[in-house]
Amino acid sequence: MRTQYDAIVIGAGHNGLVAANYLARAGKKVLVLERRDIAGGQLVTESFGDGFVADSLHASGRLRPDVVRDLGLSRSAFEDTAALSYTSLLGDGAKLELYTNASGAPNVESIRRYSARDAERWAEFVAFMDRAAEFLDAAYRTPMPRLPHFKAIEEGLPLARLLWKLRRLGGKDMFRVVRAMSMSVEEFTDNWFESEAVRAAVSALAIHGVTLGAMSAGTGYTLMHNWLNRGGLAHRPAAGGVGKITDALVDAFKAGGGELRTSSPVQQILVDRQRATGVRLAGGEAISAAIVFSTADPRHTLLTLVGAAELPPEFAWQVQSIKLRGSVAKVHVETDGRHGLPAGTLVVAPTIKYLERAYDAAKYGEISAQPYLEVTTSSPADAGSIVSIHFQFAPYALRHGDWSDATATVQQRAIDTLDQFAPGFKASVKRVHTITPRDFESTYGLSEGDLNHGQLILDQMFFMRPLPGWSNHKTPIDGLYLCGSGVHGGGGISGASGRNAAGIALKQT
Amino acid sequence: MSSNQYDAIVIGAGHNGLIAASYLARAGKRVVVLERREVVGGAAMTEEIFPGYRFTEFSYVVSLLRPEIIRDLELPKHGLKILPLPSTVTPFENGDYLAGWDDHDLTRQEVYRHSPKDAEAYDEYSRVMARAAKAIKPIISMVPPDPSSLSPRDLLGLLKLGKYAKSLTEKELYRIAKLVTQSSADLLDEWFEFDPLKGTKSASGIIGTFLGPRSPGTAYVLLHHYMGEIDGAFRAWGFAKNGTGGVSAAIARSAQALGVEVRTNATVQQVVVKNGRAAGVALANGDELHAKTVMSAADPKRTFLQFVEEKYFPGEFTQAIKNFRVRGSSGKVNIALNALPDFTCLPGEGPLHRGAISISPSIDYIERAYDEAKYGAFSKNPYIDMIIPSMIDRDMAPPGHHVMSCFVQYAPYDIDGGWDDAKRDAFGETVIATIEKYAPNIRQCIVGKQVITPKDIERIAGITGGNIFHGELLLHQLFFFRPAPQWADFRTPLPGYYFGASGAHPGGGVMGAAGKLAAEAVLKDGG
Repeated sequence: MRTQYDAIVIGAGHNGLVAANYLARAGKKVLVLERRDIAGGQLVTESFGDGFVADSLHASGRLRPDVVRDLGLSRSAFEDTAALSYTSLLGDGAKLELYTNASGAPNVESIRRYSARDAERWAEFVAFMDRAAEFLDAAYRTPMPRLPHFKAIEEGLPLARLLWKLRRLGGKDMFRVVRAMSMSVEEFTDNWFESEAVRAAVSALAIHGVTLGAMSAGTGYTLMHNWLNRGGLAHRPAAGGVGKITDALVDAFKAGGGELRTSSPVQQILVDRQRATGVRLAGGEAISAAIVFSTADPRHTLLTLVGAAELPPEFAWQVQSIKLRGSVAKVHVETDGRHGLPAGTLVVAPTIKYLERAYDAAKYGEISAQPYLEVTTSSPADAGSIVSIHFQFAPYALRHGDWSDATATVQQRAIDTLDQFAPGFKASVKRVHTITPRDFESTYGLSEGDLNHGQLILDQMFFMRPLPGWSNHKTPIDGLYLCGSGVHGGGGISGASGRNAAGIALKQT
Repeated sequence: MSSNQYDAIVIGAGHNGLIAASYLARAGKRVVVLERREVVGGAAMTEEIFPGYRFTEFSYVVSLLRPEIIRDLELPKHGLKILPLPSTVTPFENGDYLAGWDDHDLTRQEVYRHSPKDAEAYDEYSRVMARAAKAIKPIISMVPPDPSSLSPRDLLGLLKLGKYAKSLTEKELYRIAKLVTQSSADLLDEWFEFDPLKGTKSASGIIGTFLGPRSPGTAYVLLHHYMGEIDGAFRAWGFAKNGTGGVSAAIARSAQALGVEVRTNATVQQVVVKNGRAAGVALANGDELHAKTVMSAADPKRTFLQFVEEKYFPGEFTQAIKNFRVRGSSGKVNIALNALPDFTCLPGEGPLHRGAISISPSIDYIERAYDEAKYGAFSKNPYIDMIIPSMIDRDMAPPGHHVMSCFVQYAPYDIDGGWDDAKRDAFGETVIATIEKYAPNIRQCIVGKQVITPKDIERIAGITGGNIFHGELLLHQLFFFRPAPQWADFRTPLPGYYFGASGAHPGGGVMGAAGKLAAEAVLKDGG
């Protein structure tokens, strides 16, 4: 049957655009459908009213180097390569400054104030984390086969390469990487450092964006994951805002003959005899395509867009059981510029117990009284008058009250807490725009406000992401591919999921 | 040959040490077991704390003891008698209760009373968990290979492991992968809705760990406790005649029948090393015993940091042992009673008194109990697992009187300011006050009370950190990694020195597998 398009991609987030680019470059006729009026998904730079411009969800985003290369994007166009500081505010003016992209002397000096021994070990730690990230990177580049029986040539070889890579890390390092994954970051950092300040500052990155505490098993893995996606501890801010990355992807896509339609929410994925045949938009328009890619989270894609009726019952039950658990809020503040905050990435994470207590609240559906904050001032719009606060924990599912009142609470606790660790900040506040987990869902299409389309927990990673046996981007519906953050390779801004999915689909057709 | 010359010396007369010694003796070795205390049994022993009242001081139920060990050592012949624990009752503060019986259909009806939806799920859940436990069982009796090594032994081990993985269906494989990594709360939330049911089931996922039910990895611990077997019947927990001491006594008798010499009040000072090999041990009283094989059934810290000088181990190995987590998290309160506690939910003497009584109203209840412990305090509202051994074995207490054993979590080893008598009393009082909410007459019945903190477990049973499993059942402390990467095969970097206790694979519980596997390693090496 003649279809209008070779491929439809649902969602113009970075993964959707990456997949679309790969497909278009392979000569496919591709249509990308975006529900919002702007492309970018989580990678958007938006204005909240005259001059109040900020990176809505993420302070930075780094596409995989191979994606940048393959799609002919020029990294220099959007990546700032200045030395990046990661500063932990410890109260009473004390702070700890960490660098991971350079074993700079100032760095060691800063650590020595807390522990000479830790200062000694820092370079070795950074080297180990970079090696661990290198392994994880190899894993994310390798689509996971269906265990135990998989096609030897098609899937076995890449897997063998991965194991070889793991092997090349050497017996000792292999053990350290694999073991560290299931550890809590509290234990992992305990094996490296003695200074609470250093341990907590590192632990903060491990719980960033996930609903886990520093004492939760598996935060060793999330540390490596976030380290890989950021290329260290600090953000690499995109010159001109993360939206520039989206622009680069859209430009490349259009230049390749691709078609992008915004304000086109997909209501249904059309299925005929277990095969995806196209989509129906909210407006009623049906568009046919040979294959359909969805960057929406697996649960929304399969249970809402496809519908449980089309799926094997046990599969549907498993999809229902995917853990989505948003607990992040973003508080953007326009200041008079006299906020007194240093540039770079700042965190409020004085001790491991502080982080753990912040998480405890989320377990019971409450907002942290003393939240973990990550603060960036390097605003694209103007010279640092915009302060963006990443707030944890603010659980999507509140046990008491709802988000209409809770928004004010988050806003106030964010500003008060930051003012407590950076006195004088409050006085500089002019305008505030808060984005709650609810908004993540309603505005940005993130189910339950989960930035990762599914928690980064041990039982939802690698060949178990999104579900055991379904980490190869395929679904029980032929021609329907998952390529969002909820699949292996996903979580964070890297484009791995979109890249891998496109690769698999192109092998098939 | 001097009387102090043996083929093998085993340090510690806990169940693992005695089992290892028995297997060595069975192979014709001249074996001595050295016990610090005046009694054998380690953490599995029964003592008369108050005249006429006998308690299993530490461990209290039997289920995990491997059936092949029971057969090989003919333990029934030596007096091992397992009496079934027919039920688990979870009382609620509102006067209702949830009961789990040893009869699946009865339990199903009981669950139905609270939640028809859960009753439906219960059947499938039980099948799935039983299958998973069966599927993972071969791992228990497997010697973990070293994946980073290319030695024939390890490659064979990996091959065996691969064969095992292939023997599983795709479904089983995934289920196990999930169970090993999940939190018990996530697992149970997928199946059930009724809080007390989830709370009670999640409890077996935290026993002996320093984790809450929402911590990833606890589903494995839950499964670990699912692997219990009595007379081949899965998941039936039992109580040993004369307490778990009865188990040790039976194993000791079996060992002695096999010619094993057991020396009590024999504290090991140090392992004697001659030309880079373990050659014997030096006792605190100055005696020296000689053997070409020395096996420690003590915890990893004592085994590798205390008995042997650091210089005999690679620095990395020592570091790994130092990092090995042994944080005790549970305490015990043993109570002598002049009458049965009367539970509001089931007044009068009833079947609940013959089974386990679990204070676990919800997952949140247990999680909050954990929250307090991780910040250095004992739980104000603890999880408690009670049994009344005297109801099952009348010989445990004077006629009409009873002994009650309460396993309590959480009580952190590293409590703020350290444990002292005042804190121990406060802890005991908290436990009684908690039970009182469900059995108001408990105080009037008490004629004696023994409170055991992790510090006491360390002091009395000699387990560093007071962790009942000699080391937490954390993912990265299991199988390949237990007690340390590359040394999970019961051998140690010091030739002639072996390790066979709960701190080795497959870990905790009165299971005995470690002792057996370690003995086999010795025999394989021609020791």
